[in-house]
Amino acid sequence: MLELDRISKRFGRVTVAEELSLSVRHGDAVGVVGPNGAGKTSLFGMISGDLAPDAGEVRFDGRRVTALDASVRCRLGIGRTYQVPRPFTGLSVFENVLVAAQQGAGTRGRASYALAAEVLAGTGLADLAGRPAGRLGLLQRKRLELARALATRPRLLLLDEVAGGLTDPEVAELVALITAARARDGLAVIWIEHVVRALTATVDRLICLAGGRVVGDGRPLEVLATPAVREVFLGTEASADALTEVERDA
Amino acid sequence: MRYFAVFVLVLLASVPYTLGPGVEQSLVTLFSLVAMATWWNLLAGFAGLTSFGQQAYLGVGAYGLYVLALAGVDPFAAIPLAAALAGVVALPVSVAVLRLSGGQFAVATWVLAEIFRLAVTLSPGGDTGVSLPGISGYMPLLRQALVYWCALGLAAGSVLAVWLLARGRYGLAARAVSADPDAAAASGVRVARIRRVAYCLAAAGAGAVGALLFTHTLYVQPGSIFNVQYSVLMMFMVLTGGLGTVEGPVAGALIFFVLQQALSAHGPWYLVLLGAVGVAVTLFAPRGLWGHLGRPLFPIAHLRET
Ligand SMILES: Nc1ncnc2c1ncn2[C@@H]1O[C@H](COP(=O)(O)OP(=O)(O)OP(=O)(O)O)[C@@H](O)[C@H]1O
Ligand SMILES: [Mg+2]
Repeated sequence: MLELDRISKRFGRVTVAEELSLSVRHGDAVGVVGPNGAGKTSLFGMISGDLAPDAGEVRFDGRRVTALDASVRCRLGIGRTYQVPRPFTGLSVFENVLVAAQQGAGTRGRASYALAAEVLAGTGLADLAGRPAGRLGLLQRKRLELARALATRPRLLLLDEVAGGLTDPEVAELVALITAARARDGLAVIWIEHVVRALTATVDRLICLAGGRVVGDGRPLEVLATPAVREVFLGTEASADALTEVERDA
Repeated sequence: MRYFAVFVLVLLASVPYTLGPGVEQSLVTLFSLVAMATWWNLLAGFAGLTSFGQQAYLGVGAYGLYVLALAGVDPFAAIPLAAALAGVVALPVSVAVLRLSGGQFAVATWVLAEIFRLAVTLSPGGDTGVSLPGISGYMPLLRQALVYWCALGLAAGSVLAVWLLARGRYGLAARAVSADPDAAAASGVRVARIRRVAYCLAAAGAGAVGALLFTHTLYVQPGSIFNVQYSVLMMFMVLTGGLGTVEGPVAGALIFFVLQQALSAHGPWYLVLLGAVGVAVTLFAPRGLWGHLGRPLFPIAHLRET
């Protein structure tokens, strides 16, 4: 459903993608790991339309979307969350989700209200519906990111560190939420996460990015075991710890 | 509340019969302030586009009215046409200025208004100003009453129109765009379209006000109608009243109107006081006076149905 064809992107001397190719099929759940600055968030930007690649092509359902605006891609079925939450401040939580339901999913009137209410209930935000979005805590902001993305009725959902900074039970809750959404809508997910454990519990394919290239792609545990990935990971102590934890779980 | 609003409107509509031309004249000023502020607020408050160039469309409205009246159209009937003309002129302009945002957008709109002013000044007979043709057929008393009713209709119609826009699907999307355009696009909002609609509607609104002012003063000069002071004034009213609310511009227009009536005799001190009020409100009540004190009379929030 999604194909990246040799995309390249640089910011001055920083390379965030170099001849990067990737394809994701319907219903896939793909995890993405990689050190800070590997180009993970930039990759999402190029898929969702926030960022234009210098070269290469992005295809969605066989259609070239490289030159299309982010709003058009969203309407085609690409939903994304932001690593640093970007709620519409000045709008209530309900309105944040409603605008996505109306504009992204193309619903109107009562149907849009129903969709927004359903997504809020599903993401555990129902009680906060009337609260100004600017006054949410971090966990709630991350949930709102997820809710807003889900309300656009995506077929491909891009999750950028939705579990980062959360406690273990909170992560478990989020994982359950995402698994449920996948079961219900059959949507494909690409999930960037530093909390490798949350990933391996959910995805059936793992991609490791470093320096704008794919250095590993395959079944999660196998990818984590390859020397190239280990080398990338052992560079940072926290990631190394995460790795051993995952291995212990397995 | 609705009945109260209708009651007030009926009272105001009867002013030409009850209070006479003096009150009528100053209320025309108030109503044009309300309309001006209301449309500026659609642009800045709801769509997040701070313009310093709305005087361009005041001018297009006024000179559009001149051309139409010259061609034999009744001046009052030509007001909506002049407004539509301003909206149409804004369409190609929006393609250029909406590539910019923030301060650059503000400056570009200002520069553009200056270009409009120069174009009018340089056209034949443009620098001295023009009188409104085709108005002499009206008896003064009737003319003043018609101007008054047009002004009242424009103010009330503008508030109603912006309220209906702001509380609907469009307004919600516009508020998302003004909060975060990139995140709005990622949620499916067609950002460019939302901004273009706001820009052209605000231009048409300003065009209507410009045409109306022309029927009121019967004379227009490029130096005055294209003055940036109008945009500064719109900003003052909207910020003191409450940006991004329907009531704010109305409150702001009232505040400005009262200050102007009470203090304009004191010359420059009046401007100093206006500045002080502006600074005080931005410091102590950044959401504007209505934002802090008032409760929405014209609510725009979307509430979950229970
Ligand atoms: N708009 C930009 N302008 C300049 N440089 C940028 C821009 N966006 C990202 N970068 C740089 O590109 C590199 C990759 O950034 P990106 O956010 O994609 O990394 P990431 O893999 O998501 O990292 P993290 O794990 O910290 O989120 C970083 O070095 C970053 O500083
Ligand atoms: Mg990132």
